[in-house]
Amino acid sequence: MSWLLDPFRAEFMQRALVATLVIGVVAPVVGTWVVLRRMANLGDAMAHGTLAGVGIAYALGIDVLFGAVGAGLLLATLLVTFSGNRRLGQETVVTVLGTAFFGLGVVVISRLDTGVELTHFLFGRVLTVGWGDIWLNIALGGAAVAVVLALFGELRLATFDHVQAEQVGVRVELVQAVLVVLLAVVVVISLRAVGTVMSVTLLVTPAATSRLFARSLRQMTVWAVVFGVTEGTVGLVLSYHLEAAPGATIGLTAAAVFAVVFAATLPRRMPHHHRPLG
Amino acid sequence: MSPHRHSHAPHHTPGPDGVVLELQSLGVTLGERSVLHDVSFSVRRGELIAVVGPNGAGKSTLMRAICGLVNHDGVVEVNGVHCHDRTDRMDLAYIPQRNDNDIAFPLTVGELVCAGRRRFRRWWQRPTADDRVVVADSLARVLLPGAADRSLNELSGGQLQRAYLARALAQRASVVLLDEALSGVDEPTTEELFDVFAALVAGGTTLVVATHDLGLVRRRFPRCLAVNGTLLADGAPVDVLSLDAVDDLFSTRPRP
Repeated sequence: MSWLLDPFRAEFMQRALVATLVIGVVAPVVGTWVVLRRMANLGDAMAHGTLAGVGIAYALGIDVLFGAVGAGLLLATLLVTFSGNRRLGQETVVTVLGTAFFGLGVVVISRLDTGVELTHFLFGRVLTVGWGDIWLNIALGGAAVAVVLALFGELRLATFDHVQAEQVGVRVELVQAVLVVLLAVVVVISLRAVGTVMSVTLLVTPAATSRLFARSLRQMTVWAVVFGVTEGTVGLVLSYHLEAAPGATIGLTAAAVFAVVFAATLPRRMPHHHRPLG
Repeated sequence: MSPHRHSHAPHHTPGPDGVVLELQSLGVTLGERSVLHDVSFSVRRGELIAVVGPNGAGKSTLMRAICGLVNHDGVVEVNGVHCHDRTDRMDLAYIPQRNDNDIAFPLTVGELVCAGRRRFRRWWQRPTADDRVVVADSLARVLLPGAADRSLNELSGGQLQRAYLARALAQRASVVLLDEALSGVDEPTTEELFDVFAALVAGGTTLVVATHDLGLVRRRFPRCLAVNGTLLADGAPVDVLSLDAVDDLFSTRPRP
């Protein structure tokens, strides 16, 4: 027990915990749809791409969060605009834009002569997250969760059968655009705590884990949040004891849980268990 | 339960002579290639129609064009209303080939069927008690009573087709287009499906079924459209699928 509680004696670790918990709730709620819509690579590109905004904001001396929001929204707009290109396909457009933004970020930060390390942005510094950041994250994250809950029915229709959805009046492309913006929000709130590179971890892995066994969308979302919160907390504690980067440790924890659940649900997913109704 | 509110009659009134769907010179060009040209026919309330033709003949394209999923020339009228884009076609239901949707999606049968009710409410509105009654009713009509809480991936192929048909019923669709609903389906399942088809047709719904199975068309369909690049024939299977006609239809070169 003290192994679990000791790290949180220090105030900076309490702040780190709250920051991680916010991400642990918000990222899986959005991530459930990212996984179901097979947009994980888009999330990854978004996570890397925000580095451009972070670098530029840092160079200009403004809060990096604004840079991340700006880059995230710009990238989201470009992705939505160009991913319909039939000749290329979405994955290609996503990768081209994501790497371009990421490259820009790396170049800008490398050119700065401030001694700030690239790794701070890539892997986050959860231990230096301030209460101001946390309140902002709670506000942004709360809004993201509210949007997902409000659009739950529309997301379900648009994701399962976009043809029928459109026919009965769902604005499928708008739903997709909203989801890309939510993706940007998750990346932004994860930025300081887990860094740009690892911010997709809690977006994708917990939802992917619950996807393995969940029988309904509600169940999938709830379990994804349970995994996200638990993995975030355990990962943070582990990182304290191992003296390793929190974002990376959380990522490994999430992957370990995924592996265990994957193995445990393997028999259930075997084809012979898909018996028809009587 | 008032027979009007929960009646399974299509939502809109058909045009003159009971025509629910009319195509005038429909054509589809993908890139440089003309996939379909000059397809004209009309369909009445409560008809059961097969669409036959070889692979690549344009059966799926025809269905997708009718639903507004691919750009087309010519006119599509549903219940006498000229359709401009996809949202004009809420009276149509399209049931895709089996593998087009992810059937491992965490969805219950009831949620699938309830998707048909979406056209009757705004995006922020939740399904009502009435909707749930319609869902249960629709499932009963496709011989899946009480399946609402089952998970979609527990269904067999034939049951899945019937669940989609229930969604079309809940949608109050006048015309249901089924793309290859009968391929890879065993004999008892085919029988079940035809029982459901008969019940739906009797209730006034029109079914248009694309299929490869000419034997089945000869035995079970009163009307058949032969498609290969254009509409080659339209009539009773006994005429449309005479030996000479079939030879022509399945010759490798589509007719000019």
